[in-house]
Amino acid sequence: MRMITLSDIPARGGSPMTPAFGLFMVALATAPFWLPAVGLYQYLGIEVAIWLIFALGFNLLFGYIGLHSFGHGAYLGIGAYAFGLFQQEVTVSLWGGLLAAILAASFAAAIVGVFLSHRRGIYYALMTIGFGQIFWFSAIKLHGITGGEDGLLGIPRPDFVLGPIRFSLADNVSLYWFVAGILAIVTVVLWRLVNAPFGRVLQAIRQNETRARFVGYDVWLIKWLTFTLSAGFAGLAGGLFSMAQEGAYPDVMSLHQSGLIVMMVLVGGGLVSFWGPVLGVILYFVARDIIGGITETWLLWFGLMFMLMVMTRPEGLAGLIHVIRLRLGNVPAQVSAPGIAASRKEA
Amino acid sequence: MIELIPHILNGLTLGLLFALIALGFTLIVGVMEVINLAHGALFALGAYFAMTTIGGGWFGSSAFGVWWGDLPIATRYAIGVVVGPFLAAFAGMVLELCLRPTYGKPQLYGLLLTFGAALVIEELIRLAWGTGEQSLTVPRAINGAFFMGGLIFSTYKFFAAGFAILAIGLVWLFLERTPYGATIKAGAHDSEMVRALGYDLSKLRLLVFGFGAALAALAGVVMAPIWGLRPHIGVDVIIPAFLIIVMGGVGSFWGAVIAAILVGLSVGITGAYAPAWSMLSMYLLLIAILGFRARGLLGRKSALEN
Repeated sequence: MRMITLSDIPARGGSPMTPAFGLFMVALATAPFWLPAVGLYQYLGIEVAIWLIFALGFNLLFGYIGLHSFGHGAYLGIGAYAFGLFQQEVTVSLWGGLLAAILAASFAAAIVGVFLSHRRGIYYALMTIGFGQIFWFSAIKLHGITGGEDGLLGIPRPDFVLGPIRFSLADNVSLYWFVAGILAIVTVVLWRLVNAPFGRVLQAIRQNETRARFVGYDVWLIKWLTFTLSAGFAGLAGGLFSMAQEGAYPDVMSLHQSGLIVMMVLVGGGLVSFWGPVLGVILYFVARDIIGGITETWLLWFGLMFMLMVMTRPEGLAGLIHVIRLRLGNVPAQVSAPGIAASRKEA
Repeated sequence: MIELIPHILNGLTLGLLFALIALGFTLIVGVMEVINLAHGALFALGAYFAMTTIGGGWFGSSAFGVWWGDLPIATRYAIGVVVGPFLAAFAGMVLELCLRPTYGKPQLYGLLLTFGAALVIEELIRLAWGTGEQSLTVPRAINGAFFMGGLIFSTYKFFAAGFAILAIGLVWLFLERTPYGATIKAGAHDSEMVRALGYDLSKLRLLVFGFGAALAALAGVVMAPIWGLRPHIGVDVIIPAFLIIVMGGVGSFWGAVIAAILVGLSVGITGAYAPAWSMLSMYLLLIAILGFRARGLLGRKSALEN
């Protein structure tokens, strides 16, 4: 069977008014009401929302421009530390902390990106691992700043202040609303971005870097920019993460965690769909809680499930859904792209 | 200057062991163009198998009776050194069978599949041997320390270095002086031509994967008494292996050996001045080398760049 790629599922002119988008927003807005009802808990909603911000931003790099970073946990971690250090050393401020998280992660990535942006393929992946490890290692060894293995503890959750509005984010339900709000904004921004000409350029670079260069795009700059941008989203997620955890730890920067985000995005189908990372993150956390509730060795079963997925349907859940819809003939009218025509014939 | 000698020797030993780890890795990359992220997990698996064999866990308490535990430690050690890699090779072959659907697709899928496999093997190790740190017993003859010129050296590290040199030499002879080696190298260079000449490529790949896994496990058996054994040791091992093959040039035998010794030396020597930061030196070395030579020291252009 021919493999599906992102370009096989055409964009729709940038309008956020698609059924998937509506479904996503409804789920986001109603989660606190049905989460306890299905046996889950509020904190899980926060965790999923934070990882969604991370995963959606990561997919800009991974799925759209096709650069396989295996050290992205580092930028989540940098964001988390920056948020914590801002609260502890500068001043207790929500927006200041989040801005510091985004800037610190983007800045680190901007420097790393200079080394990375003329690499391709496996060499890119290896270099990102190398840099990720440097950050992780530094986080463990710089006791004076990061608290070493123990991490930064007792990071406060600052109040939400916007003009005259002020409320506390101390309990998990209000923190969920805040994180969900940020996630909604991030989703809209990313959706507009990938459906704008910029998104097409990213896909062009993924398909053929040399050709994109000859068409006249500054490939180096775009690769660098995408890396920095996706790290910025990771930093934002990291800031929110240290707020939710009330601490920042070197764990999230390890190769293991960086591999998990790749795994989540891929299982969900980030390579073929904007919504792939969403499916992947939800599947991961639900699997963790449901399989983890049954057996201690849940990671074994998740790993096996993941291996099976790569072997049989490497396009992930989103690819599977797409294939099923093609078979049912239930595909909305679209511009006839050559890729789609081919996959229709085979399907 | 004289104080530096133990650090340089330590670094050399470490480098030779790193080379042993990286060889199986670079072999698999060279022949199959698969970045085997499970290499570290296979390293751990082999060491755990050897540990259980040497400790007599399977035989001492089983139907085989107590005679196994009564064998001299040196005999049990010698058998463990063979059994560990043998069983790991078997695991590696199973992994190769799982990898088959990913051939011909982007390299990312092989990488991801082996990442999943690494998770699975690590969890299986936890399940079978527990999460705590364990140690591998070595015979008294190669244990302990000796003095030379007022400096103290570990006997075991000398044994490990000698063992690594021997193993590297044998692998080189195998690849360069036997028809099997020629086939493997040809398979790495042009797999279609090898297939066209009538060689069974799928059997070749199975064997190469088994061989690579056995090398990883062998490194694990030798390394375990120095590093200790933890279920997640694979991650600590895979990173140097990675850096080394990239520094040396992906798929290059001597590149890997040279890079491994460089890494070992840099870790050993920085260990004399800033022990806590010594492991960082290898990343800096990687960035420095790749900054000047994108394909590594002895690397040639490969399909992995796309």
